[in-house]
Amino acid sequence: MPIDLYYMSLSGPCRAVMLTAKMVGVELNLKIVNLMAGEQMKPEFLKINPQHTVPTLVDSGFVLTESRAICAYLVNKYGKDDKLYPKSPKDRAVVDQRLFFDLGVFYSAFSDYYYPVIFRGATSLDDGKKKKLDEALRFFNMFVSDRDFAAGDHLTIADLSLVASASTMERVNPKIFDDYPKIKEWMERCKNQIPDYHDLNQVGAEIFGQIGQSALAKIQ
Amino acid sequence: MPIDLYYTSLSPPCRSVMMTAYMAGVDVNLKMLNLMNRDQLKPEFLKINPQHNVPTIVDEDGFCLNESQAICMYLINRYGGHKAQHLYPEEAQQRAVIDQLLNFGSSVLFANARDLFIPVVMHGAKQLDPAALKNFHDGIGFVDIRLADSAYAAGQHLTIADIALVASISSIDAVDSRILDKYSHIQTWLKRCQKEIAHYEELNGNGAKLYGQFVKNALEKIDVAESLYTGKFDV
Repeated sequence: MPIDLYYMSLSGPCRAVMLTAKMVGVELNLKIVNLMAGEQMKPEFLKINPQHTVPTLVDSGFVLTESRAICAYLVNKYGKDDKLYPKSPKDRAVVDQRLFFDLGVFYSAFSDYYYPVIFRGATSLDDGKKKKLDEALRFFNMFVSDRDFAAGDHLTIADLSLVASASTMERVNPKIFDDYPKIKEWMERCKNQIPDYHDLNQVGAEIFGQIGQSALAKIQ
Repeated sequence: MPIDLYYTSLSPPCRSVMMTAYMAGVDVNLKMLNLMNRDQLKPEFLKINPQHNVPTIVDEDGFCLNESQAICMYLINRYGGHKAQHLYPEEAQQRAVIDQLLNFGSSVLFANARDLFIPVVMHGAKQLDPAALKNFHDGIGFVDIRLADSAYAAGQHLTIADIALVASISSIDAVDSRILDKYSHIQTWLKRCQKEIAHYEELNGNGAKLYGQFVKNALEKIDVAESLYTGKFDV
């Protein structure tokens, strides 16, 4: 029985789940939830997920939210091997650290800086938040300086989560990684190695990017 | 050989690691960092953790790790054994629920409290931002909804999800217990967890009080909206 995924393609976290499902070989029954039209607040969806977020996974009645938990679950439950999410505690810990880095430092610094303008009607960007974003980019650049992928020498769900975030960031601000060459090199490696990267990630990132760029243009 | 833990007791993420380590039977060598003193920016610490945040552990072989949730997961994965495996079970669905709550705890609960209080505590804001205040209560509300259906956050027994949520929620409670007044399930769950978590006062209670005092001192200097305590907002 296929697994339901409630999603919107512009959402980085949703794309991370789709990239993971593809690599694990799990078929997803995609169900669009149009956040712009407030579809996540419909009673049928609230019954499934009272927190009304996407992505939301429903696997034979088992409901799961939080993209990084969903990615981990897909590998833990359906992975033919543990390459994407190694079982050895130290290797797994590095992947987990990168996932929480993405959640709490990398993407959150980006959203703290840009979302007020893109989604909440703010008319200027905050300098203090820019500093935090630069710091986060510096950290990530450092993480991918001495290794090919975010958590080691091969692709893991850390890369899938981080590239969904990074591609969103790059489409909103194409110059964002100009001072961070290692991030750019890592992104190229990901694009080349991740199956169906364009359809499952780039297209959605473009959509987000258009929304972001047009909001930013209004405040220039 | 004990694990080094760089921490500050005010910090909820640090306290989740302390509680988890104890319950996993892991010996910890506590190394306090005074963040106000910028201890975390000293070269010796930057070598261990260039991201200069706490908590940070250094295990044998010099394995360094930050991000409290990753640390708690690692401690059980590596050292849990029979004694503490139940805190982070291997079964995929059970584990996924815990992972979901650890993510939620970080990006919603902890982040919302930080976004609400930091402007007043650290940046001289003269009021609590109304949108941040609503988000703050919405986040707590989701936890309460969850606990209406189960005794613990991820099911029928204590896990590292409860430990992480306890660290944050006890800190909020210590700011002013009225904040949790409308969340009866959380109150019951908090008391249950406080009894069950070994050495609770020493590993979490005292640090939560410090957090509470720190925030309270700042709130006393401003006009605080009633909705912080009532959780009620005009629609």
